[in-house]
Amino acid sequence: MTLNWIIDNAARIGELTAWHAALSVVPTVLGLLVAIPLGWWASRSPRIYPLVIGTSGLLYTIPSIALFVLLPKVLGTRILDPLNVVVALTLYSIALLVRVIADGLASVPHDTVQAATAMGYRPWQRLLHVELPVAVPAIGGGLRVAVVSNVSIVTMAALLGIPQLGSLFTQGFSLRLTLPIVVGIVLCLVLSVVLDVLVHAATRALTPWQQKAETA
Amino acid sequence: MITFEHVSKVYPDGTHAVHDLTFDAPSGRLTVLVGPSGCGKTTSMRMINRLIDPTDGVVSLDGQDTRSVDAIELRRKIGYVIQSAGLFPHRTVVDNVAALPRLLGVGKQQARSRAMELLAKVGLDERFALRYPYQLSGGQQQRVGVARALATDPPFLLMDEPFSAVDPVVRTQLQDSFLQLQRDIGKTIVMVTHDIDEALKLGDQVAVFREGGTLAQVATPSGLLAHPADPFVADFVGASRGYRALGFVEATAPVELADEATVRVGSRPGDAGAVDDGWCVAVDDAHAPLGWVDLRAAGEVVEERHIDFSGTVARADGSLRDLLDAALSSPTGRGLVAGPDGRLRGSVVAAEVLRHVGHGREAEVSS
Ligand SMILES: Nc1ncnc2c1ncn2[C@@H]1O[C@H](COP(=O)(O)OP(=O)(O)O)[C@@H](O)[C@H]1O
Ligand SMILES: [Mg+2]
Repeated sequence: MTLNWIIDNAARIGELTAWHAALSVVPTVLGLLVAIPLGWWASRSPRIYPLVIGTSGLLYTIPSIALFVLLPKVLGTRILDPLNVVVALTLYSIALLVRVIADGLASVPHDTVQAATAMGYRPWQRLLHVELPVAVPAIGGGLRVAVVSNVSIVTMAALLGIPQLGSLFTQGFSLRLTLPIVVGIVLCLVLSVVLDVLVHAATRALTPWQQKAETA
Repeated sequence: MITFEHVSKVYPDGTHAVHDLTFDAPSGRLTVLVGPSGCGKTTSMRMINRLIDPTDGVVSLDGQDTRSVDAIELRRKIGYVIQSAGLFPHRTVVDNVAALPRLLGVGKQQARSRAMELLAKVGLDERFALRYPYQLSGGQQQRVGVARALATDPPFLLMDEPFSAVDPVVRTQLQDSFLQLQRDIGKTIVMVTHDIDEALKLGDQVAVFREGGTLAQVATPSGLLAHPADPFVADFVGASRGYRALGFVEATAPVELADEATVRVGSRPGDAGAVDDGWCVAVDDAHAPLGWVDLRAAGEVVEERHIDFSGTVARADGSLRDLLDAALSSPTGRGLVAGPDGRLRGSVVAAEVLRHVGHGREAEVSS
């Protein structure tokens, strides 16, 4: 019976997993792209820093369900539009990553930054060619947290009927079956681990210049 | 030429770091800013490439007010070396050196091959080229820092305590190889140090700062030793000024050298021929002096353990200080003197050097 259910629903489970992965990864990437300039701005001024970090921290405290319901009104989208989920999770990712970027950039050795400035790097050249690459280990750590947290928050979208692994929870609940719930949990876990490992591997690949003792 | 005219810097917190600074750093010369810690040397240097803006006064490069040009363009004409090298940790050695040319649009291959030339010039073996900075010693990192500063062949070079973070032996090596390099490239350099010996050794001109960011004296190293402007400078320049000043005096007339009998390791003491007091000079195959051997103490064959290495070897064209030191450090009182080719020329006694010291003084007074 167990195996049969899984085999019968394999196609749909695969589809849900793919959706889930996309809904977790795309907002993380978008969040990173927005968080970089924000975090840079925050890292450059001791007055801006608490403002940006405070605001983004506040953002994180908004319940996801509230966001999912509110966003269609703000964006003019239909409630079932996956775009709502993408925007909501992007906001959460920004909230998490602004601090990661700001602190990561602040951790770049002062001498290195000063040398680049003195050599005649323009501020954006310095950010792109020196500060961000050197901050990759710190940023990679934050990115792992963000992507894993997104995998878990995405399941909430099931309450709106947007397909992803969370749909297995609602289905199991309404059919009074434990199996779909267990399968959903296991796949969420597997997805988390896979994405975490991928981000970690990418970070390692981008930092061959790190002393081995420090990457451990 | 780098010119300071009545330059002052007051930091926002009210610290008067530099006060009414006026001096020139002549083209093609190395000017050292020296003084106790916190007297405004680094602040002064950073006002040249506008990492810091003066509160008052004008800094100009070859007559052009630095405020009249774009700060970025200005900095690209000025190489910059700092104490900890400040290398890019995520770039290999060769790519650290090639970084700025690459940023300015030079092709990868060209930038790298030029970087390799520069690394050779600063005395870094090419097997280090593909390493990352953390895989280098402090001294090697500093060489890379110098190569990187020279990557675009800028006419000016700023160096903030470039040799301070390494041990004394490596420091001497870095200083010597840098002096050699500067003879070659003839950049207009401003270097900051707190080490008066380094200042006297490297500087064509030395600017002594005192507390409060004012200039105490600007002079050549020998001028500073011979005529310190006030007790502060005299005190800062330190003890044994007279002896150290000899380091800047060359003999005005040929120094009289005595011939010395020589012997090689592995030969018999009798081979040295007639030796008055038993001491003769051990030389290598190229006839370069190694040290003294007391033939009375050597047995059948002269071995390396018989050589007394305590004496220094002066160059015939060296300073009176080198010659005097050779005489004073020699176990025989006779200082070994070698030619520019390294071959033994003969020996000199302290009295002969001192005779030339008298001449040197007279020459200086009459000039
Ligand atoms: N950014 C700054 N803000 C306030 N004071 C500073 C700053 N940088 C340096 N100072 C002060 O200015 C003085 C000169 O500093 P500096 O130029 O670094 O001296 P030096 O290089 O000769 O050791 C010191 O008293 C130092 O504490
Ligand atoms: Mg300093």
